Amino acid sequence: MTEQNEAIELLTKLVSIPSPSEHERKASAFLAGWMNAHGLKSHVDEVHNAVGVKGNGPKEILLLGHIDTFPGEVPVRRDGDVLYGRGSVDAKGPLATFAAAAARVSVPKGWRISVIGAVEEESATSKGARHVLARRMEPEQHPAFCVIGEPSNWDRVTLGYKGRLLMDVTLRVPFSHSAGEGRLPAEQGVDFWRQVENLCAENNAARGAKSPFSQLSPSLRYIASHDEGAFGSVVMSLGFRLPVDISPAQLEVDMRNLLNTVAEGTVAEAQFSGGEPAYKGDKSNLLVRAFLRSIRAGDGKPRFVVKTGTADMNVVGPHWPNTPIVAYGPGDSNLDHTPNEHIHLTEYLRAVDVLAGALEQLMAG
Amino acid sequence: MSLMGECPECAADVTLPDDAMDGEIVQCPECGVELEVTSLEPPTLELAPEEEEDWGE
Repeated sequence: MTEQNEAIELLTKLVSIPSPSEHERKASAFLAGWMNAHGLKSHVDEVHNAVGVKGNGPKEILLLGHIDTFPGEVPVRRDGDVLYGRGSVDAKGPLATFAAAAARVSVPKGWRISVIGAVEEESATSKGARHVLARRMEPEQHPAFCVIGEPSNWDRVTLGYKGRLLMDVTLRVPFSHSAGEGRLPAEQGVDFWRQVENLCAENNAARGAKSPFSQLSPSLRYIASHDEGAFGSVVMSLGFRLPVDISPAQLEVDMRNLLNTVAEGTVAEAQFSGGEPAYKGDKSNLLVRAFLRSIRAGDGKPRFVVKTGTADMNVVGPHWPNTPIVAYGPGDSNLDHTPNEHIHLTEYLRAVDVLAGALEQLMAG
Repeated sequence: MSLMGECPECAADVTLPDDAMDGEIVQCPECGVELEVTSLEPPTLELAPEEEEDWGE
């Protein structure tokens, strides 16, 4: 079997094994087995990340992908050059790219390549990436370079992701007659959401933030009201995408201050979770140069991109200030989480070539 | 002697760092655009990749 056919078979089998968050074990075992058979020393770790290592030098190139997928079945099928299936783009395509490229390259003395299929990236816990990070907190443990496995198309390099904060709010409101002047629970919930929208819009205007990557973007994920006798309540779940210059902690303070302005007699409670700062990496470093050269070597015209989503780059990036980090992988991220998720196999193979070329340049330097 | 390239945007002479490499991003001192070193022999500069925005992960 040719190297290219092996790479396609790897991706097809990996996509065929369902692995929604918290159910990654079988897919991790398969990937570890494939990597073991292709020259990487591999295992499934304590949190069920698939881990493969090639070389044993102190300088590490960490290829950090994720093996879990968004829930929902997309039947796996091949239509010519196109492979359909949940995770084909987000992010088993990029992860298989990592494994296939690492299997192809020779690792010189002094270097090692680690391929990791991390668990629970889609569930906002980033359990797998945190496990990887916990073993690389000391400066001497920081990777020399890190590539995050997310789809960006074969000729684009992702430099950054927005941050995130989730907020669950409960407003307990003393009931008043609907014919009276008091604001009902559901109305107070809507009022609060409008205040949140206004606060974000004013913040964006004050910072002159016009592009999606630079804006503070709120979303109302859930809202429901309930009657509880003398009280009513409204339960809301809000999400925020954060720009580089607003931290989750700063936004939490702003939201708590806003909650203090609810109507008299209303009791507001809020819980915050999933806070990750935005991250944007430098574009003038050895890692970016290696990708630009390798994309050009494949007759591509390289492009940079920043994303409005959040990825494991946000988890590890702030802790490794001197490690060049980009995200890379084949596929169109507009297909993330959709019922039409698919990847073009020729693009996938081009991405394997680009990454293998970049790895060789980095280790030759 | 330092390598010199020409800015494709404004035709200004751009002095490359002594340790310049293929793929390096430099800035034109005249018009300020970002440029990518695409070759050192001869020194060749192209407009650096634009920074696009996209949603998703």
